[in-house]
Amino acid sequence: MILEELKEAVIEGDRELVEELCQKVLDEKINPVEAVENGLIKGIEEIGRLWTDGEMFLPDVMMGADALKAGLDILGPELSKAKAAGDAKEGKGKIVIGTVKGDIHDIGKNIVAAMMTAAGYDVYDIGFDQDAAAFTNKAEEVGAQIIAASALLTTTMGEQKELVDYLKERGLRDKYKVIIGGGPTTQGWADEIGADGWAETANDAVSLCNKLLA
Amino acid sequence: MSKVTLKVLTDEDIRQIHNTSLQLLQEVGIEVEYEPAVEVLKEAGMRVEGRRVFFDPAYVEKKVAEAPHDFTLYARDPKHNVHIGGDDVAYVPGYGAPFVIDAGGNRRPSTWEDYMNLLKLAHMCEEMDLSGGMLVEPNDLDDRTRYLDALYAHIRYSTKCLMGSSYGADGARDTVELLAPVFGGKDAIKEKPVVITLINTISPLKLDARQTGALMEYAKWKQAMVIASLVMAGSTGPATLAGALAVQNAEVLAGITLAQTVNPGTPVVYGSASSITDMRTGSVSIANAEAALLTASTAQLARFYGIPCRAGGGLTDSKTVDGQAGYESALMLMSPVTAGVNFILHTAGILQYWLCMSYEKFIMDAEIAGVIRRFKRSIDVNENTLALDVIKKVGPGGHFLTQIHTKRNHKTEMRKPVLSDRQSYEGWSKEKLTTEQQAARVWKKMLAEYEDPGLDEALQKHLQEYIEARKREITK
Ligand code: B12
Repeated sequence: MILEELKEAVIEGDRELVEELCQKVLDEKINPVEAVENGLIKGIEEIGRLWTDGEMFLPDVMMGADALKAGLDILGPELSKAKAAGDAKEGKGKIVIGTVKGDIHDIGKNIVAAMMTAAGYDVYDIGFDQDAAAFTNKAEEVGAQIIAASALLTTTMGEQKELVDYLKERGLRDKYKVIIGGGPTTQGWADEIGADGWAETANDAVSLCNKLLA
Repeated sequence: MSKVTLKVLTDEDIRQIHNTSLQLLQEVGIEVEYEPAVEVLKEAGMRVEGRRVFFDPAYVEKKVAEAPHDFTLYARDPKHNVHIGGDDVAYVPGYGAPFVIDAGGNRRPSTWEDYMNLLKLAHMCEEMDLSGGMLVEPNDLDDRTRYLDALYAHIRYSTKCLMGSSYGADGARDTVELLAPVFGGKDAIKEKPVVITLINTISPLKLDARQTGALMEYAKWKQAMVIASLVMAGSTGPATLAGALAVQNAEVLAGITLAQTVNPGTPVVYGSASSITDMRTGSVSIANAEAALLTASTAQLARFYGIPCRAGGGLTDSKTVDGQAGYESALMLMSPVTAGVNFILHTAGILQYWLCMSYEKFIMDAEIAGVIRRFKRSIDVNENTLALDVIKKVGPGGHFLTQIHTKRNHKTEMRKPVLSDRQSYEGWSKEKLTTEQQAARVWKKMLAEYEDPGLDEALQKHLQEYIEARKREITK
């Protein structure tokens, strides 16, 4: 059964197999909404469960998230059509994430992005060394609800404030929830710069998003 | 060579790692994000595509051989000159943490006051051979110019050797400009290096603009550098330690090759802060068996190249001065010292994988470092130490407490603890102090006893003027 196979392929983090199966979904005109909701998503949910139970490690989760993304990329166009026709549920939400300007530390950001993907969010990772404009433009382009900025240096934390200020200056502040994180940051810093949230770990980052969008 | 020499790899292992690194340098290359460095390497005959530099193995081997086997760093007070290399080990305080954890486990952003306190402790602490570098991040100072205040403080308030700024070519130039007048001018320091700076590669296989800019500037002035890689096995490098070492080695060799290309004979230290990724959370874990193995094998690699080595430290993932902090730090100091590492950054003070400093931990680590330095000195075996005469004299059933041999030798033979409690239960139970509480007493006393070593008034004024002018430029 292809739905079961899709789920297993995501759990295995087998990107190529996921791509192959998704192509098959298109070729054989299987319902793409079914393939996503009862195949791919079921897989990532299972990963989330195994992770929480301590039975999976980071590479398992990150490869699972990668495989899921690859599948969604292939089914994307069909899915949009279905969405337009009102057949598919909207996703949990869209998040733009990146590491701020002057900072190239990206491991933490990558992990947070993978966990968000695994939790069912559409995640747009803009990479590292990105300025406030890059975060904002991407958020505007994809219609995100959350902007997530990572900083690992005390000398680049200021860029997180810069992002909040940048949004304010453009009258866009209320349009987005801004969350921040990274080694030297704290809840105190988030409060000081007027961010909407801070989290210390990737799991907390997901809970934070769930809370903010609830 | 020291009698105490920990080895974790065979010569054949080393050769395989070396060959793999050369293959990486040649076939994958290094992404060099600093145009002047790309130019210099291109001119030296390396193949370049964009910013990717493919190193010729023969050239790398030739250049690495031009780096000195050992060198001396000159201090403001000559009694603090440090020899880097051979069997010597130099202890250097923790570096770069943005937080302080106070006794009891409360964490807060570090300040300039912490910086000055730790500087005074580093100056006072006998086990510290250098006063260090960015002892903690002074979060309350302007982040664009705080490196200038930090440098000045080292020059002004300690007479030990210090670490320079790696904040780009500008940071390096400022470091040289501030130190040259203190040490008789730029020509003088070219002969006698007075500063050592941490230059980090970016794993995997990159050299960034800022660090590389600093590297080239320091090489120009023949000032010493630790060229270090920090591979986190499992995330920024392979999960297998051999592969992580191959990546680390390629990066460090690239950095050393660049330094020796700019100025042959520039004193460099082969550095590693490589460690592992915690595969549950992705967090870096800096104190564990794997990290201790990476540390010891780094010493072996550096010896293979005939270059002094930096690795290890009083490292821990713990968030407070507890059992975990103690056993992890002891392991992470024992491994490098016994393996022959020459320069140990982060010897004292670190908590929570380099994110935090602790005054109490500083004292505990200095104690561990002292114990291990003694261990490394090994056992002198000669006529005096074999003590045949005095054993004969005391004979069966006697004791040695009243022998002149004992009185004369115990002071050099046995290290006296600064922190460890050796009291009876009765004695200890009067106050029942934990290590942390005892350490708090030690650092407070040390700080109270700090004496300002002074600095020539005219020189102070000159340095301050330079700094003021630079600050105006930078914040303009
Ligand atoms: C690995 C590392 C590097 C690697 C980075 C590789 C890479 N691709 O990312 C390399 C070697 C390249 C590097 C370079 C440098 N580093 Co560095 N580095 C580290 C180190 C050891 C670990 C960082 C890490 O990846 N941790 C693991 C991840 C999983 O943790 P994390 O990033 O904190 O992320 C978690 C949470 O914070 C949170 N999170 C993260 N982002 C976000 C975002 C949001 C929105 C949310 C909600 C949550 C969240 O979730 C994550 C998962 O749990 C830290 C020390 C430390 N313990 O943090 C130093 C450290 C951050 N580096 C430091 C420094 C100084 C540098 C350098 C300047 C070089 C130097 N002189 O040492 C350069 C800077 C380069 C640049 N321009 O950015 C200092 C910073 C001090 C300061 N001024 O603040 C530190 C603290 C080390 C130290 N004590 O000196 N570094």
